[in-house]
Amino acid sequence: MRTKSVLLRAAAGLAVSSLVLTACSQQSNTGTDNSGDGDDKPTAFGYPEVENTEITEGKPGGTFRLGIVEPTAIDPYNAQESEGMLVTESLFTGLAHTNPDGTTEPAAAENWETNDDCSEWTFNLKTGNKFHNGEEVTSASFKRGWERTTAKAAASDVAYHFDQIEGYDAIQGGSATTLSGVDASDPKVLKVKLSQPSCEFYMRTAHTAMSPVPTVAGAADNQAYNDLPIGNGPFMMDGPWQHDAGIKLKRYEDYTTGDKAYLDAVELTILVGDETAQQKELDGLNNGQFDWARVPPNQLKTTRDKYEPQDGWISKKTFGIDYLQVAVTKAPMDSADARKAVSMAIDRATISEGVFDSSRAPATSWVPGGYKDAYQPGVCDACEYNPEEAKKLAEKAGLKPGTEINFQFNTGGGHEEWTAAVKQQLEKNLGLKVNYSGVEFSDMLENQKQPTSTGIYRLSWGGDYGTPGNFLQPLFATSAIGTSDPNAPATGDNRGRYSNPEFDKLIEEAAASKDEAERNELYKKAEKIAIGDDLANIPMFERQQFRAYDSSKWGNAGFMDFHENPPLDVIFQK
Amino acid sequence: MAKFITRRLAHAVLVIIAATFLIYLGLFTLGDPFASSGEKTVPPEIQEALRAKFGMDQPFFMQYLTYLQNMFTFDFGIDFEQRRDVADMLATAVPATARLALFAIIIEVIIGLTAGIIAAVAPYTFRDVFITIITTLGIGIPVFVIGIGLRAWLSGEWIFPAVPRSFTVETPWWQEIILPALTLAILDAAFIARLMRGSMLEVLRADFIRTARAKGISERKVIGKHAFRNSIIPVVTYTGVSLGVLLGGALITERIFEYQGLGYLLVRAISQHNNPVIVPIVVFAVVVFVLLSTLVDILYAYLDPRIRLH
Repeated sequence: MRTKSVLLRAAAGLAVSSLVLTACSQQSNTGTDNSGDGDDKPTAFGYPEVENTEITEGKPGGTFRLGIVEPTAIDPYNAQESEGMLVTESLFTGLAHTNPDGTTEPAAAENWETNDDCSEWTFNLKTGNKFHNGEEVTSASFKRGWERTTAKAAASDVAYHFDQIEGYDAIQGGSATTLSGVDASDPKVLKVKLSQPSCEFYMRTAHTAMSPVPTVAGAADNQAYNDLPIGNGPFMMDGPWQHDAGIKLKRYEDYTTGDKAYLDAVELTILVGDETAQQKELDGLNNGQFDWARVPPNQLKTTRDKYEPQDGWISKKTFGIDYLQVAVTKAPMDSADARKAVSMAIDRATISEGVFDSSRAPATSWVPGGYKDAYQPGVCDACEYNPEEAKKLAEKAGLKPGTEINFQFNTGGGHEEWTAAVKQQLEKNLGLKVNYSGVEFSDMLENQKQPTSTGIYRLSWGGDYGTPGNFLQPLFATSAIGTSDPNAPATGDNRGRYSNPEFDKLIEEAAASKDEAERNELYKKAEKIAIGDDLANIPMFERQQFRAYDSSKWGNAGFMDFHENPPLDVIFQK
Repeated sequence: MAKFITRRLAHAVLVIIAATFLIYLGLFTLGDPFASSGEKTVPPEIQEALRAKFGMDQPFFMQYLTYLQNMFTFDFGIDFEQRRDVADMLATAVPATARLALFAIIIEVIIGLTAGIIAAVAPYTFRDVFITIITTLGIGIPVFVIGIGLRAWLSGEWIFPAVPRSFTVETPWWQEIILPALTLAILDAAFIARLMRGSMLEVLRADFIRTARAKGISERKVIGKHAFRNSIIPVVTYTGVSLGVLLGGALITERIFEYQGLGYLLVRAISQHNNPVIVPIVVFAVVVFVLLSTLVDILYAYLDPRIRLH
């Protein structure tokens, strides 16, 4: 997920815990009470993870209500932030599905296979499934959807998910109207040829951008369909999207691709004002209007106190990280020592206590804990606060007191306080002269792209698919800079312009490996290089999410899906 | 009287021209109102259409005239967020705000006048002191405190709708209006009560009241007719001004109760940098305010013939 919905992400309260993955260990490690003892305390502060992923059998019925902010789109061609995903995932079932734990499993596909170098993929579809309008879902429905999204005229923000497929450049450039790498000649089989082979391609098919669409969808600019998408998912639209007001979904009774939903209906009330939406969601939960809510950072404690005893509290580390992006090719941050000096001069724990009431955990790795098999806590040894060592490293790297360093953040996202604390610590611990500036988010991205960009920037990153590679390749691979000219703007997501052939080779090997365990090992090695050795970006806080819901009324609602939304497909009314 | 009205209207037109010009200067010449800013990039085709609509390639004077023409023909362009016709958005928000404003005014005038008269008729008695204390509180407590308090205690109870609520819950408009109208009315009612008390106390000491009483006119008539009409002038002014302000949208109150009026629309538009929505709301607020104060002046002259002569 690109860093678009930064407001949502920023506002979302992040908190934390030690690595207790077992639910309900709710005592004592709440951090706020063991502060200031000066000891080398472990990461045991913040809120423990609490979730209940056990799925039990329910019965049909009930209307689940929640508040969301107005999505960019609910049509798969441009659905992008978690709100859009919530609706689109309910309306559509793609080839694969990403589980809450980050694993990927077949959905509309029965199974898939690939050739030796992972350049050709064959998806065998489940047959006999129908769109909400009765049209059969075939391989052509997928090809139609994919071409609709990647067509130049669609100007889709999510088309880049298709960039490994042969013919992508031609259709994006407008010189072709079809994706030449996609073969739908057999209605039961979808064949895909990749120009950039990847053994993880199947994971991408879980993204809503890769949903099938019926013939009535037309081109991406079909407004009637944009507001009333007809899909093949467990829910269907109940009337068109009422902009700024709400969206109603009802159960699709003839859903056969997977288990039918229990809920009769879902009512999504659109709350206006991104900054206050979380507060309204919580107000709505408390006044009985909504059944599920996010929690504003300043109400984490009271909400937890109220909902945890009634099992209506969800607290989970998810797939995301807050970090400082570094322009690694330009002085003064062009050496690993300089970056480590800066990182070690930042006291993440104190910032978390002072600014976030200890609800965010200091990050000690880059790949989030959600990817259990690739998680390496402590791989960032320079993430530990050590002002003495920081000074030594700074001296070695020529980061003398008085050195100027640019530090930019985006305004309006709730980042003012913690970035200001970082600035203060850099000034105090290293004597740097920090040119600290807040700009609009779009301007900050533009600044980072420029060849003249220097210093550090505040950013966050969230996962799109269930692979740790999604946290490494787009941000650190040489190819992800988007240009080989150091004097041209960076067009990819690797705007810090980190480049290390060794890292690139490991990522390539991982993409070419069919064995998941082997891939994870390669990713771990790659992370060790980019973060442990080179510290190409500076990890700050792990992402943790909190939700409250009414557990007396709803079953199977004790966890979040991969996009941090309620699992509408399994929730039932008690 | 006709001459007086013409003169006042001419003033109003002048003020409106000056005000719209200042708004124009502020919004258009100190930067491009249709440029991207904030999180979302404004689609280039929308920017272009708006620039064309507002004639931004033309000389300054023509630009201003085009803007005036757009404002007074209700042709505002499309908004950045939803790509909806701004005129349509205003067409639903203006009546909502007007309803709220009128309701609030009715409540505050009834409560304010009654309390003011009761206090003035028997000054320095318990009743008077009691009303004085209550009105001091009413004026002293900020409107957002009253709003949030009413929302926390009453919304979702009895007939008062919950805030926020699921969009499928239908609520009659009058239920939706009660709490925000009360919130708005409390402050103004307190103020009106004080104005009325002060002004009436003064009038009651006047010679013509003594004369009226001496003539044996009933006390009810003395208060209700002679004193009332003469002491209501400051209240009329204040109410007019207050109505003018309310019609421009009650930003805080509408936001607290998520009441879909002009004020809430403006708050949202500002946070989204949605200039095509901001521009007409601001202009509308100014025009309504000027027209209402003109109307008040005229009413004033009708109530107090002396003013016409000046």
